[in-house]
Amino acid sequence: MDVDMIFKMAAIGIIVAILNQLLIRSGREEQALLTTIAGLVVALMMIITQISDLFSTIKTTFGL
Amino acid sequence: MNILSVCAVAVVSAALILTVRKYSAEQAIMVSVGAGVVILLCVIKEVLESVSAVSDMLSAAGIKAEYIVILLKSLGICFVTEFTCDTVSEAGMPSLSSNVLLAGKVLVLVTAMPLFQDIFATVTSLLSTSS
Repeated sequence: MDVDMIFKMAAIGIIVAILNQLLIRSGREEQALLTTIAGLVVALMMIITQISDLFSTIKTTFGL
Repeated sequence: MNILSVCAVAVVSAALILTVRKYSAEQAIMVSVGAGVVILLCVIKEVLESVSAVSDMLSAAGIKAEYIVILLKSLGICFVTEFTCDTVSEAGMPSLSSNVLLAGKVLVLVTAMPLFQDIFATVTSLLSTSS
């Protein structure tokens, strides 16, 4: 069971949120937005491999 | 594969999701999808053995192989549809979720259509022999 991935993604979420707040406080709204988008992309890239793994496993299991 | 570990993963990820959701909702959705995928991947690996056992039993009972294939295909479509539907509706888009549900229903119907045709052909032949 790949539990580490869940923790990794939660950590990415918290770190991105903290960076976002820091950048907004220091008056750099564009960079805060960019950081949020980058965090989202990183999380998406992590999750997409997992989802494709799940779907290909289902495909082979049920012969879809 | 242990039910206790699945429950533990679910509870811990629920706590994590609640923590992350306060700061950014979209990252919380990522974490929840990840947790769902991890749990389902564990379960599917167990299902793989049962599926071959069930298809062995069904073929021993004299059911045609193509019917078993149709059954398993419908089961797979239901699995994927259910997972996607729940994930999308949790992300706060119920209309998209019901669209996925409708697509799953239509595809199951299309997959099972040869069975309906077989039943229809059997009924027709029965009626023609009785009259």
